[in-house]
Amino acid sequence: MNNTEFRSRIRKSLANQHLQIALDINAERRVTRRINALETLPDWRERRQRAHAVRAEMIEHLDGYLEQFAEKAKQNGVIVHRAKDAAEAVKIVLEIVKDSPQRRESRKENQKESFAALSTLRGEKVLIAKSKSMVTEEVNLNHALEAEGIRVIETDLGEFIVQLRGEKPSHIITPALHLRRQDVGELFRDKLGIEYTEDIPTLTNTARKVLREVFLTADVGITGANFAVAEEGAICLVTNEGNGRMVTTIPPIHIALIGIERLVRNLDDLALMLSLLPRSATGQKLSVYTQIIHKPLANQQRHFILLDNGRSRLRNSPLKESLLCIRCGACMNACPVFREIGGHAYNSIYPGPIGSVISAGLFGSEFVPLAQASSLCGACKDACPVDIDLPKLLVRVRAGEAKEEKRKEEGGGLSLTSRFFLKMYSRFALSPRLFTLSQKFAALTSLILSSFSRWIRLPAFTGWGYSKDFPRFAGKTFRERFVESDSLLSDRQRTENNRAVRNMVYENTQEQALALHKVERFTKELNAVHGHVHKTEKPSQSIVEFLQSRGINRIHLEPGVLDEDALAKAGITVSYAPDPAIRVGVTQAICGLADTGSILEADGEGNPLHASLLPEIHLAVLFTSRIYPSLENAIHLARDTKSAVFITGPSATGDIESVHTIGVHGPGEVHVFLVDD
Amino acid sequence: MPHVQLFITCLVDSFYPQTGEAIVEVLRRLGIDVDFARDQTCCGQPPFNAGLRAEARPIVEHAIKVFEKTTGDIVMPSGSCAHMIKHGYPELFADDPDWLPRAQALGNRVYEFTEYLVDKLGVTDLGAQWDGTLTYHPSCHALRGMKIDRQPRALLANVRGAQIVELPNAEDCCGFGGIFSVEHPELSAEELKRKIDNLEKSKSPTLVVTEAGCLMHIAGGLHRQKKNQRVMHIAEILNTQ
Repeated sequence: MNNTEFRSRIRKSLANQHLQIALDINAERRVTRRINALETLPDWRERRQRAHAVRAEMIEHLDGYLEQFAEKAKQNGVIVHRAKDAAEAVKIVLEIVKDSPQRRESRKENQKESFAALSTLRGEKVLIAKSKSMVTEEVNLNHALEAEGIRVIETDLGEFIVQLRGEKPSHIITPALHLRRQDVGELFRDKLGIEYTEDIPTLTNTARKVLREVFLTADVGITGANFAVAEEGAICLVTNEGNGRMVTTIPPIHIALIGIERLVRNLDDLALMLSLLPRSATGQKLSVYTQIIHKPLANQQRHFILLDNGRSRLRNSPLKESLLCIRCGACMNACPVFREIGGHAYNSIYPGPIGSVISAGLFGSEFVPLAQASSLCGACKDACPVDIDLPKLLVRVRAGEAKEEKRKEEGGGLSLTSRFFLKMYSRFALSPRLFTLSQKFAALTSLILSSFSRWIRLPAFTGWGYSKDFPRFAGKTFRERFVESDSLLSDRQRTENNRAVRNMVYENTQEQALALHKVERFTKELNAVHGHVHKTEKPSQSIVEFLQSRGINRIHLEPGVLDEDALAKAGITVSYAPDPAIRVGVTQAICGLADTGSILEADGEGNPLHASLLPEIHLAVLFTSRIYPSLENAIHLARDTKSAVFITGPSATGDIESVHTIGVHGPGEVHVFLVDD
Repeated sequence: MPHVQLFITCLVDSFYPQTGEAIVEVLRRLGIDVDFARDQTCCGQPPFNAGLRAEARPIVEHAIKVFEKTTGDIVMPSGSCAHMIKHGYPELFADDPDWLPRAQALGNRVYEFTEYLVDKLGVTDLGAQWDGTLTYHPSCHALRGMKIDRQPRALLANVRGAQIVELPNAEDCCGFGGIFSVEHPELSAEELKRKIDNLEKSKSPTLVVTEAGCLMHIAGGLHRQKKNQRVMHIAEILNTQ
């Protein structure tokens, strides 16, 4: 993309009033939420520096850790692939998909409801359910799969929306950031055949209904990975809607496409990253579903594809620090330029400050002009949870350091006029005499241009004249005046006094309130994310009462959690097989986290997914002795499971106008029955 | 008597000489001798930030050579030029074992004006007088690049008669960014518009800055929009008696 095209995209974005409203909403909401969430960690500044060091160490020794990860994942029963570029990644996916045992028959049986957009997908084609993944966008996977006659459905609400519109995501975290609820209402009316509505819960629920069928019948699930843990051979995936959990556990094949820089050393480092990632991305203490996936489930194939696609080259370039990025999007939300133009103007899948660095580094020099669209204000660096020096990297891109060639093209993206002006200026600045002369000349010219005003009105094409006037040069420069007035000043009485030093006492940020008892803290945090806590001594009895109050007499149940005789007496029947008519699932939580209100569940055998994910209401029994202070104290428990998930409140999305909407693909209600043991 | 070098920076030199004079007067009142190295030109920031390193390098070498001949701390009326010397120079000479130590030695002597007053001299009250309301715009390179914010605020808090009000969204960039303001006039204009809107919301007739770039940019926007607010460098406020 050359500079002219970029400029025209910028103008188009600025002229789009709907986009401007959407971007303002995003900037205002996201920035406040991020700051508030970080402030709940008294040591977040120090954590940020630690996170930087941890990521830098990883990138420094990446090859060794990659070996370790691949080896460990193989031991876990995962099939590991390496792809050097986009073409290889696509080829690997296609090979896996083509060998897949298809579930067409079950799809045919499921043709109950009919949504216009999906009516064609229930045919003979292979069906892939995808969870949001930037790296699959990077290799243009959907396009390649569709070209092979494979049907791909994006299941994240925001991605689903942009896919229906035939667009690309405009933000790495909130893909439909550029749209208003009215746009989504019209889209769903046209593509899904529902009545026009601006009601976000109704729109969200429509997507839930449409996509539920996709999850249950897909042949293959494809995701990215937020992190890959070298010591464990495990990946970590954070989502809010529940679609990530669906596509990694229901289809018989799961493929995760993983950028090689996603690695962290171990679970401790992962816990550190997870304390920063959701806070920076969405302002959450923990995302609703934080999955740690070690192994394939029974009757499931799991593939990890480790993708390079320019990352090794980036690693050997002066832009190496950009590989520390954990893709939270905070730099975009903080960036005053992104706020004006949104993601699409950048014409790269990675927009904003980090995008302006890595697009040039990964995809080539046609993206260098993006780096000129920054005042180097540094808001991005301040917002970055791993303290990447983005202004420094932007200047390096401008200096041609994204290129491998020895001969660098400096000043990439500069207009010819600016380049000429800067070169002239640089020549003058080399000689004090020429510098002074040029100042004199400029002063004289500006006096001629504007004899009666201290201001010069330059035409718009000069750039400066577009929105501001230019000051006239001073008749006498400082250097001239300094020489002349030196004697004058020394005559002046130099008042030595008046120097009372009043040291300001700066308000220290208030210390965090005293730590609450862990049960109270857990309750408070879960309530804050719209979950409910019921304290009980007899969980079976309390749950029966809860079910009766809701008029529910059939549930999914994790074996051994409740007294089944008591249930039978109360007329409640139990199903261990998936049944879409069942509204409540009951599970045993492995543990709880006091500082986020999260519970840990295992997916796989003996832990039926349909109990904690598919129904509208999830009831979990948790013993108070199993409440840990924080994720870092409990993350090791994930090791004992094939696939574990920390659940933090009900399934939710902010994909339409950043409005928090509860109940997407997972349960809309989460109740924890706390048993004091 | 302690003495400092004044690195005036090209914008103050060419457009705002009165700011330079105010700095000299404030420092001299505090008993500091101010020297001005006549051969100084520019710190090299404009070509460096634009990515023109080959052009920046000789300017930077010139600046290093000029100030190597002097002694004492170097005071600059600009956080971005100070940032250039402290962070840009080492970046420019990262692979040059001859120039890197010279660049670093220079960087160690450099202070932004308010930083020098508060952190080096320990002065926050200059006995300045101002009749009216003031609001402060922190410049990006000073604020985020050099972590300078409490210093100018402390100095302003002690200006007698002045009522200091907070500028809404004060930490937002004004959209100057050097060559950015002409390379991307539309983006720069939007940021400038927000800054001016916020200045109006503050109801302050006077905006105080520590950076001539922001001054030139915001004042130019105000003049284009025919607004009456004025923008002043902090040195001129502190020099009032």
